[in-house]
Amino acid sequence: MTTIRAKKAFPWHIVFFLGPGLLIYLTVSVYPLLDTLRLSLYNEEMNGDLTFTGLSNFSKLLFDVVWSDPFWNATWNNLKFFVVHMLVQNPIGLLLAVLLSSPKLRMRNSYRTLIFLPTMLSVVIVGFVWQLLLSPLWGITENLMWDIGLGNYFDAWLGKESSALFTLSLISVWQFVGLPMMLIYAALLGIPDELIDASVVDGSSAWQTFYHIKLPLIMPTIGMVSILTFVANFNAFELIYTVKGALAGPNFATDIMGTLFYRTFFGFQLQQGSLTMGAAVATLMFLVILVGVALYLFLFQRRVQRFAL
Amino acid sequence: MADVKLNNIKKSYGNVNILHGIDLDIKHGEFVVLVGASGCGKSTLLRLIAGLDEITEGELQIGSELVNDLPPAKRGVAMVFQSYALYPHMNVLKNMSYGLKIAGKDKAFIRKKVQQAAKTLHIDHLLERLPRELSGGQRQRVAIGRAIVRDPKVFLFDEPLSNLDAALRVQTRVEIGKLHQELGATIIYVTHDQTEAMTLGDKIVVMNQGRVEQCGTPLELYQHPITEFVAGFIGSPKMNFIAAKVQSIEADHLVLRLSNGAITKAFVDVTSCNLDDDVTLGIRPENLSEDSDLGERISASVSLVEQLGEASYLYLTLSDATEMVMRTSGESTTTIGETIDISFNAESAHVFNADGLALKRHRAGNTKSPAELARLKAIA
Ligand SMILES: Nc1ncnc2c1ncn2[C@@H]1O[C@H](COP(=O)(O)OP(=O)(O)O)[C@@H](O)[C@H]1O
Ligand SMILES: [Mg+2]
Repeated sequence: MTTIRAKKAFPWHIVFFLGPGLLIYLTVSVYPLLDTLRLSLYNEEMNGDLTFTGLSNFSKLLFDVVWSDPFWNATWNNLKFFVVHMLVQNPIGLLLAVLLSSPKLRMRNSYRTLIFLPTMLSVVIVGFVWQLLLSPLWGITENLMWDIGLGNYFDAWLGKESSALFTLSLISVWQFVGLPMMLIYAALLGIPDELIDASVVDGSSAWQTFYHIKLPLIMPTIGMVSILTFVANFNAFELIYTVKGALAGPNFATDIMGTLFYRTFFGFQLQQGSLTMGAAVATLMFLVILVGVALYLFLFQRRVQRFAL
Repeated sequence: MADVKLNNIKKSYGNVNILHGIDLDIKHGEFVVLVGASGCGKSTLLRLIAGLDEITEGELQIGSELVNDLPPAKRGVAMVFQSYALYPHMNVLKNMSYGLKIAGKDKAFIRKKVQQAAKTLHIDHLLERLPRELSGGQRQRVAIGRAIVRDPKVFLFDEPLSNLDAALRVQTRVEIGKLHQELGATIIYVTHDQTEAMTLGDKIVVMNQGRVEQCGTPLELYQHPITEFVAGFIGSPKMNFIAAKVQSIEADHLVLRLSNGAITKAFVDVTSCNLDDDVTLGIRPENLSEDSDLGERISASVSLVEQLGEASYLYLTLSDATEMVMRTSGESTTTIGETIDISFNAESAHVFNADGLALKRHRAGNTKSPAELARLKAIA
């Protein structure tokens, strides 16, 4: 028996459909990333010429005190920023999601919308509004706190080195708590009612049902929320820039990777901008996020399974 | 002993009344089957008994204790759900031991209980598996096992077999029946499959739109349905209904003029009948015969034939367009388009009055359960 196989025509339709997206992805995402990595290995001369210097930018950034102090400061601050989100934003998001999914709750859609609303606002507006609210000069917070008898506890939180970063973190938490809430809420809704009924008939209390049944089933979502938080936090910039400017004051107390990168790359006040040093900071940011995501994938994602419900 | 008593149980969601006063008396060890059309409130009733929903009105007693306000676990009930509702992240062992663990039982005891139940259900080789690694039938057993280990006073089953394929359904049905014999526990079982109801139930409760239409042994419901609804619900294919008028009233039977003009007798209680009353004649497909020698005769044309092998169903149309089904021998050669004379025994007729209530039949057959028959034969 002979079979004559027509030579398969080249699948032009695949090129046609993938092409535009791929092109955009390559030009605005892959190329800049690779070029940044490349730039970080060069040094920029006064006249604008680039000379290859290997890893010297990185060694400067990590070991030369002039560079490494701000770098480690920003990294450390960024870590704190992230920890506050993990310890405050995500647990509150989880709690809100659980409350929202409680069958006895009325007007759940209104709550959901209201809590999610700040997420849709511009960070610039949120930063500005909170700056006004918390201002010791004309903010309403102080009066409000006096009114409820807590006036003594008021402080210029945004202006103090000890509290500025924490306050900014909380503002960010306030704005974005709707995201984990929505994601976890959706995951909770995906758990079939009969499963919950079964555990109730088995004798579990509401807490036991949550801990033994619901929590393990939404673990993948919580993991995803965590990694999204991580990536967003280590890419954060706008809030600090809006409220504290590029100098991330007071005394760099709120400086994070994003603002450090901004000053390094574009320059600010006395500091001269540097294309190549900026690229080196950006590369390190990229690596930090890469390592974080890799750790998540290998340590967490592998152990947590998604279960068909 | 764990009798279950329902006293005028009502349930409403907001101002929608779902159950309108259910009275039931379930003896210890009884296998009670709730049947009824979809949406009539079977699941709702089961959930009320389980304690998953609040009883709006009425009293629920389990083992002579009022349990209206007790949480499910304290009522001593276990439930098997239609979707099995196995915890997807726990293996079979953990699924089955969850309830006992929550109850704070010690490990050795739990282990023993689970092993024992797993053996009974032939799933002891599956204990380490996750639910998704099990077949439908195996999941079903695990769900039953999860109920058994807690030694409940009452088992509640909500359409447990409806997700299984036909062969497995029959097999599991038989096993549930055997399990009931072994455990001797009270079982309340919801289904819309009447074969399940007939074969499993010591007692069948037919529900209709939130009310108990009739409650009795399977044969009682089959032989003496008290309403047209029950008559139509129990039996497959459905009972045939033919509109009729009372032509004359004799001492022990009625003479009816059917809508197609045929005259038939029916042996039913005549005390409440008047001449010319509108009634409905009910006759089961299996009581019709192609031989025209059973007494009461009707002529009909065949519009469809279904051959099942052991029997054939003839779909008939009477001269006034009334549709009927009859069951005949699988070897019948009757075919579409023929007009045939069919006949039935006047004893096998049911008659329903204009309100859909049955007139008591005088001469119906055996209504006793196998257990009762065995006892009677032993005495004799
Ligand atoms: N939580 C609920 N809220 C409002 N109506 C409900 C609820 N649960 C069930 N119902 C209604 O109760 C009726 C009976 O439902 P159900 O008991 O599930 O019927 P079935 O006999 O098919 O199991 C249906 O009409 C259903 O719409
Ligand atoms: Mg149901």
